[in-house]
Formats: sequence, C-alpha cells, structure tokens
Amino acid sequence: MKRLLSFLLIVAILVPCSVSYASETIKIGALYTMTGRGGQYGKDSEAAIKIALDEVHKKGLPGGAKLEVIITDDKNPQYAVSVAKRYITDEKCKFLFGIISSAIGLAVTEVSKEHKVIFIGTDHAATDLTANKFQKYYFRSSNNTFQSMMAGAMYLKDELKGWKKIAYIGPDYAYGRDQWMELKWALDKLGVQYEVVGEYWPKLYEPDYTSYITAIMKAAPDVLVNGMWGGDTVAFIKQAKPYGLFNKMKYFHVDAGGNYEVFAALGADMPEGLILSARHHNNWPDTPENREYVQKFYKATGRYPTYAAQGAYVGIHMIAEAIRKVGNANDPDALVKALEGMKIKCPEDPPGFTSYIDPQTHQIVQVQAIGTTVKNDKFPPAKYMLGNFKVYPAEKLWPNFEYIEYITKVKGK
Amino acid sequence: MDFNTFIAQFISGLSTAMLLFLVSSGLTLIFGVVNVLNFAHGSFYLLGTYFAFQIMKLFNNYWAGLLAGTVGAGIVGMIIEYFFLKRIYGRANEGAFQLLMTYAFILIIDDMVKYIWGTEYKTIPKPAFLSGSLSIGSIMVPSYNVFIIIIGFLIVIFAWYFLMRTDRGKQVRASSLDRIMLSLLGTNVPLIMTLVFGVATAMGGLAGVLAAPLRTVTPGAGIEIIIDSMIVVVIGGFGNFWGALLGALIIGEVLSFGILWMPELATVLTFIVMIIVLILKPEGLLSKKAIVRK
Repeated sequence: MKRLLSFLLIVAILVPCSVSYASETIKIGALYTMTGRGGQYGKDSEAAIKIALDEVHKKGLPGGAKLEVIITDDKNPQYAVSVAKRYITDEKCKFLFGIISSAIGLAVTEVSKEHKVIFIGTDHAATDLTANKFQKYYFRSSNNTFQSMMAGAMYLKDELKGWKKIAYIGPDYAYGRDQWMELKWALDKLGVQYEVVGEYWPKLYEPDYTSYITAIMKAAPDVLVNGMWGGDTVAFIKQAKPYGLFNKMKYFHVDAGGNYEVFAALGADMPEGLILSARHHNNWPDTPENREYVQKFYKATGRYPTYAAQGAYVGIHMIAEAIRKVGNANDPDALVKALEGMKIKCPEDPPGFTSYIDPQTHQIVQVQAIGTTVKNDKFPPAKYMLGNFKVYPAEKLWPNFEYIEYITKVKGK
Repeated sequence: MDFNTFIAQFISGLSTAMLLFLVSSGLTLIFGVVNVLNFAHGSFYLLGTYFAFQIMKLFNNYWAGLLAGTVGAGIVGMIIEYFFLKRIYGRANEGAFQLLMTYAFILIIDDMVKYIWGTEYKTIPKPAFLSGSLSIGSIMVPSYNVFIIIIGFLIVIFAWYFLMRTDRGKQVRASSLDRIMLSLLGTNVPLIMTLVFGVATAMGGLAGVLAAPLRTVTPGAGIEIIIDSMIVVVIGGFGNFWGALLGALIIGEVLSFGILWMPELATVLTFIVMIIVLILKPEGLLSKKAIVRK
C-alpha cells in the first residue's frame, strides 16, 4: 500500500511536468529603444508584438508551441551585442528581433551571422543590411531606405514639374547620409536633371534648427528634401513654419516624414501640402486588414500606431509562419528556406498585392505610397493626415541589383 | 554675403544662444556657488516642459504653464539639493559622488516623466499673439524667437542687478569664494546654497518651457541639451555667470554662421571653439586662474 501511494505521488508530480513540456515555448530575443526620443517606437513595437502574439496563438503553432518575446532596451551597439549574445547562449532564444537604430542593427547582424540565429529586423532601415552587408540569417519586415528613395525619385520626376534646384537636410549619421546618396542615385538613373544648392547635416536629436532654416532660405532650393525621423522632424517643421519656408519651396520627406507621431505631435500646426510618406499609414490603404490592425492597436493602447508597430507585427507573423512551414524552430537553415520568398499579408498592402520576402536579399518587398498633407481629424490628436496618394509598385523598388553593386563598391562588404 | 543674410543669420544665432544661456547659466551658477557639477541639469529643463504641459492642459494658458514649469522645476531642484546633494557635501571624494548622484537623477527623472506622461511627443502651443512673424526689411523673423531673445536679455539684466546691486546677491558671490568666512559672518550658507540651486534649476525649467513650442517635448530631451550647455560653460569658465552668456553667444553665432559657410563642419565647429579655448585659456574666457575655494 505504501509503495502504491509512493508511486501515485510520483505520477502526480510527473504528469503535470510532462504536460507542460509537451507544448514548447519558443523564445524570441527582442531589442528595442525604450527610452528617449526613440522610446515611442519601442513602446509601439511592444504593443504590436502583443497583438501579433495573440493572433498567432489563436491560430496555433505546431505541437501547441507558444512564442515568448523578451524585450530589452538596446541602448547602444556594444550593449545590444552583449544582450543578443546572452539571448542566444543563456536564454536559448531561437530568434533575434526588432531594433530601431540602423547602427545597432548592423552590429547585431554580426551576432546573428556568427551564431547562425535568425534575426528579424523590424524597424531599422539602412539598406546595407539587405545589400552589401547581407548575411543569410538576416531578414527585414519593413522597407529599407532605398525603397523609399526610389519611390521618392519617381515622385519627383513625375509629379513635380519645373523644379531644378534641390537641397537636403538630414541627420549626420548613416541613416541620413544613405538616404541622400540613394535619392541622388535614383534621380540620376531616372535621368532627372537637377542642381544641388545645399547639403546640411545637423546632429541626430538636434533641438534647434533655426540657423539651418535661415541658411536653407538663403540657398532657395525649389525642393527641400528632409531625411530626419521622429522628434527631429517635429522640431524642424515647428521651427520652419513661422519663417514661411513651406510657402517658398516644396518640402519632400518620404522615408519617415509621414510617420503618425509627426501628425500627432504637430496637430493643427502641420502645414498643408507637404510631400511625405512612411512605412505604414493609418489611413491608407482603406482595406479591412489595415482598419482592423489600426483599431486593434488603438483598443490596446489608446493611441494610433507609428510605423514601427507594423514592422514588429509583421515580424512576429513571419516567424510564426516559418515555424508552421518547418514544423519546429530548431533548424535555422530550414527556417531560412521557409522565410525566403514567403508571402505575408501586411496591413499596408493594397488590394490585390501581398508583400513578400525577396529570396536573394531577404528584404520585404512592399508598395510605397507617397502623399501630401491634407486636413483630416479622424485619427486624433492629429489634425492632418496624408491624402492624394501616389502608389509605386513594389517590384519597381526592390530588389535593385545595380544599386546593390554600387553600394558594395562605395561602402564595401 | 549681403547685409540681409548677415542679419537673418545673426538673429538665428542669437535665438539659439539665448536658450543655451538660460540652461547653461543655471548649470554654471550651481557649479560656482554650490560647487556641484549638476549632470542632471537638463532634467530640470525636461521637468519644466512637462509641468508646463500639464498645467496648460488643465487651464489652456501659456503663461500659467510658463510659471508652473519655472517654479515647479525650482521646487524639485531645492528638494533634491536639500534631501540628497547636501548629504554628500564635504566628503573626501565628493566629485565622484556628485557625478553618480546627479547622473542617477537623470535616469530617475527621465523614467518618471515616461511613467507619468508616456513616450508620445507632446505639444505646447505658442501664445496666439506670438505665433506670427515680424518683418525686418526683407527678413522674416518669428515673433516667438524675438520673445525668447527679449526674455534672455531681461534675465541677464535682472541677474546683473541681483548679483551686483543687492546684499543677497553679494552673499551669493561671496559664497562662491569663501563659504567659511561667510558663515562666520553670520550668513546662513546652506540656505543660500539651497536657494541658488532652486533658482538655477528654475532657470533650466524656464528654458524648457520657452523652448517647448519650438522643439519636441519628449523624454530624453534634457540629455540632448546638456552637452551643448557643458560646452558653453567650459568656454565661458566654470562657475562664471557672465561666462555662460559669452559662451552661449559665441556658440550660437559660430554655429549659425558655420551652417551658412561650411555646413559640413557646422556641428564640429563648436567643439573646435571649445578646444581652442581650452588650449589658450583652460579656465574659460571669463574665469580667473586657479581660484582656491575654502
């Protein structure tokens, strides 16, 4: 009897353990900027990850597996690299994920390459990562700056008439420098004739653009291209408006200028007619998928998403889909194969188009929509949103092997 | 360069300089009188902005926000000085403790702001009558920038009068030279230090509110302005109030004309100026050599 009781006790202890082991937990090690000016992108990404995880678990994964996302503030490249290594060695994460800053993305892709762990980049946009710095375990779920700039060059060629003089202002680091190089390359390829009358390189997070604005006014370009993001854009527009800058030249800002947080922060101060775009728009395309995604985000957070959220949301779905295809998350090479060429429906996809992962560069291929600012208070606290959209087909934007060859020559592998 | 361009660029530089002065004058005042290198000074700039945001949200009045941001930052400054910094004065390695403690307050205040107000960018509108522009000949200058320049000069005049013409001001100057003697003469030196800390952090708060309608109100904004303010203080001389004014004017104008003439080097120019000053006059342009504090 005593033996039987002991046996039953052991069974009682072991059975729940074996049940919990049956459904595997697949860990994803994410790094996001959670403080400072980029903090909102981190917070939005975190919220979108939760939404995507709910959807993924509702649909289910092979063997009832669950995804678990660990998020750490990325701080700087050195720190992010140490966290990424700890994710892999200590936490046994099967995927690296996220990252706002391109500088940090470029550092972490080396960890991914060395440890053969898949890294899904969700927000950083430096083209290098899916071009000259390509490595097979890196994939990106949001567009790179080249896609924005190629579409931008097409817009400048087809939609703006009679301009010749162009000036650029952008943050003095890779993201700002690359956009300008890419736009000029694309304009040259399209045969557009232009004259550069000024290049201005404020530091990232520069709080005061007053002297830049008066210098730009003096240069008097027909088109001012801006390569800033987030709060820098907000500060620039606030400071430039009373100088009448937007009445004297066309303002063109197509990678991050149309991100929602700019509209939210500026409210009624947003000038009308600026040419902007972003990697996701809350009001375009007007499809059930986009509406549902935006509303889910709003319900979860009480605010509308910035584009960073879509990258994180799509990234989680990419991982889930790859695991479903392979059956587990234990073979990174099989997961790479599953991700290559994967079609993935994104909120920003217009009717009749589904985004896909380019098998050669691992870059998500998406359409780009560029619009102008118009009054629209349907997404408060914004008082303006984009309208008059011009849409550029995904396959005309990426991959561009001629540019990849060029950037490899300029920057090296 | 034509005259109009010169004036436009000069006024731009002046408006940048005045905001820099408001932050760095507080920083240098704290260093001069309280002998603390307050790394957290930018956090009071941030707090001023958010206090103003909150009050303006409730009352929809810019001036109430300006007052709340200035006074609120000053009160928090005094609380921090009285309850925390006072405890490390006079320790053998006070400098290291100051650095650690003020840096800790940067992180604490930044996270507190994020916790209370969130990470989204906030907006503080200008008063309606300052939202337009003034035309000076063919030059257009935003009224709000002119307002900032005027406030900056009013602060300079007020500070000059207070420091040079009042007994309390003389006590403040004396406490930066010889606290022991001042104390023996019956002055409540700890009170002066707390009040100076409060006034200096209030000036940081005032700068934050003044800058808010032009800049991005977001956690982390305080850290962004502290580097430039440090450069100003180094150029003018640590602890020298008038040095902060001179340093701010130099940096504002060097940056402004640098952007016009050599935009590629504009941001490096401020560091070049700092290096030249450090080589030629390491104690700063307006500081006397080797002041020994008692």
